[in-house]
Amino acid sequence: MLVVALALATAIGFVLRARNGKLRTGGAATGGWALTGAAPAPDQRVLLLQLSSPVCTPCRQTAALLTELAGREPRIVHREVDVADRPDVARELDVMRTPTVVAFDRAGVELLRVSGVPRTSELETALAGQLASQ
Amino acid sequence: MSTSGTSGTSKTDPPVDPRGVRFAAALTTVVLALVLLSGSGWLLAAQGVVFALGAFAGMRFSPYSVLFRSLVARRLGPPSEREDAAPVRFSQLVGFVFAVAGTVGFFTGLTVLGIIATAFALVAAFLNAAFGFCLGCEMYALIVRLRQSVNKQGATA
Repeated sequence: MLVVALALATAIGFVLRARNGKLRTGGAATGGWALTGAAPAPDQRVLLLQLSSPVCTPCRQTAALLTELAGREPRIVHREVDVADRPDVARELDVMRTPTVVAFDRAGVELLRVSGVPRTSELETALAGQLASQ
Repeated sequence: MSTSGTSGTSKTDPPVDPRGVRFAAALTTVVLALVLLSGSGWLLAAQGVVFALGAFAGMRFSPYSVLFRSLVARRLGPPSEREDAAPVRFSQLVGFVFAVAGTVGFFTGLTVLGIIATAFALVAAFLNAAFGFCLGCEMYALIVRLRQSVNKQGATA
C-alpha cells in the first residue's frame, strides 16, 4: 500500500508538473469580457483572465508576470479574479486549478488557457496573431 | 477587479517560510508512511494532533514548524521569500479531516478506511514535500465550486 501510494503520488506530481505552464487550446468558452464586467477599449485585443485562490504562491507569481506583460503590451489586458469571491467564474470557465489563465480574443472567445505559472514568451508567441489582427 | 490576498485567516497569521512548509510536509510523509507500514491508529492520531495544531492554532504552533525553526532554519539563514499562511493552514485542515477519518477507521476495525484515508493524506504530503505542490491549494477552486453548488447563494469566504 505504501509503495502504491508513493507511486501514485509521484505519477500525479509528474503530470501536474508537465501541465504546469503549458498552453492548451481547444477550449470554447465565450463571454470573457462580460465576466470582468467591462467591454474592451478600442485598442485592446486580448484579455488574460486569471483565476486565483485567496493567496496561492504561484497565483502571485503569475499576477506579477502578467501585470508586467500587460504593462509593456497595451493591447493585452490582464484581470485577476479570486475564485472565493467569484466561484461563478470558475464554474463558467470550468476551472479546477489555480492559477489558471484563460485568454480571450476581442470578441470574448477563448483562445487558449494555461494552468500554473505561464511562460510569458510562449504566451506572447501564441497571441502574436491576435495582437496583429484588426 | 484585481483581487488578491483577501479572505480567511490570512490577516492574522504571519507569513510562513516555504522551506519550513516543505520540511513539515516531509516529516508528515515519513510519519504517514510509518502509519501505513505499522497500521498504528495511535501514530495516526498523533499526526492528527499535529494537523489540528497547524489548522486551528496556526502553523507556527505546529510541532514540525517549531522543530524547523529551532533546528534547521538557523543553519539556512533567512528565507528569500515568504508565503501566505492561509493556504498552508487550509492544507493542514484537509490533512486533519483525513487523519480523523483514518484514526476512526483503525480504532473501529475498519482497517480499510484507515489505510485509504492515510494513503490520501500521504499522497498530498508527498506532493508537497517532493514537488512543492500544495494539493489543497491547487484544488481550492474545485472545492469552492463544490461548496457553492451546495450553498446556492455563494456566500463564501
